[in-house]
Amino acid sequence: MAGKVIYEIKNASKRYGSVVALDGASLKLHAGEVVGLVGDNGAGKSTLVKVLSGAHQPDGGQIFLEGQEVSWESPRQALEAGVETLYQDSGLAPHLTVSQNVFLGREITVKGILGWFGFLNKKKMEHDAHEDLEAVGIAVPASNRAVSQLSGGQRQAVAIGRAVSWAKKVIILDEPTNHLGARQAGEVLNIIRNAKKKGLGVIFISHTLPHVLEVTDRIVVLRLGRIVKDAPTSEFNGDTLIGTITGTIQTIKVEGD
Amino acid sequence: MTDSKQGSASKEQSALRVKISNLLSNQSAVLIITLIVLGAFFNWGSDGLFLTSPLLGTVMDEWGAYILLAVGQLFVVITGGIDLSVGSTVSLSSVVSGWTLINILKVGPEIGGADANPYVLLVVLISLAVGLLVGAINAWLINKLKIVPFIATLATMGASNGIAVMITAGQPLQGPNNWELGAPWAIGEFQLPMSTSVFATLVIATVVGLFLHKSRFGLYTYALGSNPFATRGAGINVEHQVTKVYMLAGGLAGLAGAYSYIRLGAGSNTSGMGMELYAIAAVVIGGASLMGGIGRAIGIFLGTLVLFVVQSGLLTMTVVQVSPDLKQVIVAILIAAAVAVQTLQNKNGRK
Repeated sequence: MAGKVIYEIKNASKRYGSVVALDGASLKLHAGEVVGLVGDNGAGKSTLVKVLSGAHQPDGGQIFLEGQEVSWESPRQALEAGVETLYQDSGLAPHLTVSQNVFLGREITVKGILGWFGFLNKKKMEHDAHEDLEAVGIAVPASNRAVSQLSGGQRQAVAIGRAVSWAKKVIILDEPTNHLGARQAGEVLNIIRNAKKKGLGVIFISHTLPHVLEVTDRIVVLRLGRIVKDAPTSEFNGDTLIGTITGTIQTIKVEGD
Repeated sequence: MTDSKQGSASKEQSALRVKISNLLSNQSAVLIITLIVLGAFFNWGSDGLFLTSPLLGTVMDEWGAYILLAVGQLFVVITGGIDLSVGSTVSLSSVVSGWTLINILKVGPEIGGADANPYVLLVVLISLAVGLLVGAINAWLINKLKIVPFIATLATMGASNGIAVMITAGQPLQGPNNWELGAPWAIGEFQLPMSTSVFATLVIATVVGLFLHKSRFGLYTYALGSNPFATRGAGINVEHQVTKVYMLAGGLAGLAGAYSYIRLGAGSNTSGMGMELYAIAAVVIGGASLMGGIGRAIGIFLGTLVLFVVQSGLLTMTVVQVSPDLKQVIVAILIAAAVAVQTLQNKNGRK
């Protein structure tokens, strides 16, 4: 089903003062695979996401992208290497237009005087933004509209579309279906399937367990900073998943290899 | 209020309301209308004195002193910050320019007119350097010490002012006067309401304004004020952007200091006093939101103009005598009105 290992974290740990947020977490992600990352509040999901996306540096452990060891000093580095992250509730700038958001950080410019004083190529970005979003399965209104004028579902679609269209290798989605209605959440899950078809490795973090069971190939359960279960989605049902998250079902710690 | 009982009368009313709100939501249109109304009113109130070249010349002269501050402030305000130090930066940069000319070049008030021209570049460079330095300190306080912009720039405001007083010992440092740059342009006998130095500020402000709307730097300024988390998430170095924005505001304040020095023919520790408040007022009247993310350069050009048309207009009134002290009250009313219009716009925008 899935291709080769595209992104891997080995034995990662992270402390915030006396709080151990991550305690030897290991995770493998294959190309064309959707991995669900679940856990209760405070289980370490956000910390793991921040470490994987380059926002935080782990205190210990190693990260490998396509077999090469990497060490992210900033989210920018991770982005440039092909690891795209969609953070919970902070995806878009509401005062900017759809296309400005899609291209934020990677603007297309018209070469200006001496090749460095380039103005933004608004037309091209508006055109391309529309195409890029359509390509990942999103029907968006005009790309020159301000994001603040879009509905919550449309905003989220743009945010995810942005991430999927830019991601070259890995995409990390932190609670992408939060606050969405059933139909809109369904669209988001379709975008995730498209990303998988593109051969991306997808990490899907969510509290909405039915979505996790529906779209993922494998589920990784975090509890108190440790990975307590890492198994194919087919081995879970709603009850066993909840039991594993809360700890009412005993688990054996899964070591990375 | 949207009862089905209400008939066509309310429909017509709401159509009119939509038209009005559309017009009101175009800040530039509102400001241009305001300017026309004010111009006509003051011209009537001053027996035709207001709309004459010398008087409009004084309006433009004031405009030139403030437009650079206002445009710089606009960038800062769009990021969601505020820069209170720009007025003191004007004082400090004009004082440092004055001190350098007197003590190092030994150039004082005995020089004037076209003879002062060779010193222009030096004054501009010194003032710019002082402004950039203050801006860099602001950015450092905000980025490294994590002080909120209001307090950080309040601190540099006090410090710049204090240093300016120490250098001058409270006395203006007289320099070359009657600079050719400050003299109004003339076609034969007719004086235009424009001088070389006002024109220079106009050009600089226009270029910086275009930069805001057309460049990547400008886009990041909006992005930062709109959603700093998304901006960081997009891989943009937020700290660098903050540094650049405050250094831009500081640099422009420095240039405003050069303008002030040339205009007054002296460096004075009071030359920029209170200017920051007018710059902030101009930005708010021009349609920027202090919450960040919103504001256009053209609005700030017009907002600054409204401010000084009102001030000069009131003082030229002959129908009633207006005390100069009243102008502060009027400015306060203008700010309140501008914010009220903004609130109205936001309400309509959300519907």
